[in-house]
Amino acid sequence: MSISTLLENYSEYRHIHPVDDVPHNPYKWAMAIDLDACSGCNACSVACYAENNLPVVGREKFAHGQVMHWMRIERYWDEDGREFPDQGARFLPMMCQQCEAAPCETVCPVGATNHTPDGINSQIYNRCIGSRYCSANCPYKVRYFNWWDYPTTDNVWPAEMNLQLNPDVTVRSKGVMEKCTFCIQRVTVAKNDAKTQGRLVRDGEVQTACQQACPTSAITFGNLVDPNSKVHKKWQAQQVELDKDEQTKDMAEGGSELRGYRIYEQLRPFPSVMYMERVRESAI
Amino acid sequence: MADNNNYRDTTHQSDLSISITPAKAGVGLLFAGGALTMHRILCLSALLMGLFSAVGVYAADAQQSEPVDPGIEGSAIDKSAKEKSDSGGSSFAVWESKYFASSPDNTGPAVEQPIEFPHFRHAGDHDKGGMEINCMYCHTYARRSLVAGIPPVQKCVGCHQSIESVRDKPRIKKLFEYWDAKKAIPWKKVHDLPDFVRFSHERHIQRFIFQLNRPVQEVCGYCHGDVKTMTVARRQKLLSMGFCVTCHEVKHPVTAEGGTPIGDQAYWYSMRKPIIDASGIIKAQGPNDCSVCHK
Repeated sequence: MSISTLLENYSEYRHIHPVDDVPHNPYKWAMAIDLDACSGCNACSVACYAENNLPVVGREKFAHGQVMHWMRIERYWDEDGREFPDQGARFLPMMCQQCEAAPCETVCPVGATNHTPDGINSQIYNRCIGSRYCSANCPYKVRYFNWWDYPTTDNVWPAEMNLQLNPDVTVRSKGVMEKCTFCIQRVTVAKNDAKTQGRLVRDGEVQTACQQACPTSAITFGNLVDPNSKVHKKWQAQQVELDKDEQTKDMAEGGSELRGYRIYEQLRPFPSVMYMERVRESAI
Repeated sequence: MADNNNYRDTTHQSDLSISITPAKAGVGLLFAGGALTMHRILCLSALLMGLFSAVGVYAADAQQSEPVDPGIEGSAIDKSAKEKSDSGGSSFAVWESKYFASSPDNTGPAVEQPIEFPHFRHAGDHDKGGMEINCMYCHTYARRSLVAGIPPVQKCVGCHQSIESVRDKPRIKKLFEYWDAKKAIPWKKVHDLPDFVRFSHERHIQRFIFQLNRPVQEVCGYCHGDVKTMTVARRQKLLSMGFCVTCHEVKHPVTAEGGTPIGDQAYWYSMRKPIIDASGIIKAQGPNDCSVCHK
């Protein structure tokens, strides 16, 4: 491999999927999101705000791009010639994809973001120095930086409202990067209970906040290693494999009828979230 | 495994000697330098003293710095730890009490409680006038939740209403004042961890008391110090991340199954430093993942 080959085709050499070295056992947390069911109601986003102590930044900071929504609904207008009130749109809930070979992890100068054995890309707030490299390197742009000291100077939670904060999640201060954690506080509790009782976490024992709030049950969360889990069955039914950068079904002639896909798969971050394409007409 | 002193980190013992070596040698040289202008015999004795101390420390260092083979799992470390504690005595305990327990920077401030609760009377040994009550009788949540919990006033009164002999004591009078007013006693927190730390009492109690059958007071004492000799509890241990790691690195060799080492990134920390044993299995030590303790 010459240097020029390496530089020109860098993406081909950049990552190999690490699962082959040390397989996830007994847990690999993953998600499946059915876009056909998603109505773009934003309940997941609101639930995330409540669960993870996210500050509501207000109109002005939102305009500056300082919004802190870990779970955001991306909106794509239909380009079929119709104007706004009649124009249809598609929605896509976007949060941290918990990549297996996460681009954010390799660039963190202090190792504040790293991979857990159960396949979550963890963010350690008290280790973060706020270099924002991770956010620059994230292809999904799902990392959010605390530009302001929301709890104190910005007073997002004035007295008494601070009682609504979730004690299991740190209230982040200024200069810290944060992102979706797959509700790791809930996962930890479930794992703890399971360990005390000497068993593994059962399917459905952990629900993420967004999953819990979703009125159409578009979001499925669970252990991908467990062959009986809902999420495993969905991934299997859609023939989406975690450690592939191009799915076998898509390489077949004429493509595949199956709806499952992962975003930016070709960049080889090996995301842990599978989306299922929308098949019905757009909402108007 | 169930040995009392064994859970301590033995690397600290060697750390101790290493850290003292330059200091002592420096003192010796200083003595020598100053003594040159003084009486020759004094000078000679000081020099000799410096030399002896340096040599002595060197010898002690050489004796203690026998390499511990990291390629072998827990049992070997246990063994070497046992050998060291047998031969070297409890130098770690001395060092610990010197630097951790007595320094006002490391231990918490003396917390003033609404009632000066005599832990030594309730949990202390029989021969010292204590009742040897199980810690978990009052701190009842310790075995099933993250926090140990403070007992409700009802729990205090439950016993004390039938203990007539101490009913007139000022503390007990105060207790019943709260009880009659139907108010909770505003106890202050002594062992307060930062908000970004997730510590589970349950996990530790389950492990040490229910699995390894160690005595309750010893187990609680690992982190809370000798509470059975205290009146109002004070923080005796450092309770820093390094303090946690001293146990976890040595005593919890965890197989890092499912870890995803990418460009060595995952092994940034000493806690995750992998050990590859003869069969090629990668092992990491301690809870090999930051998010277990940091939330």
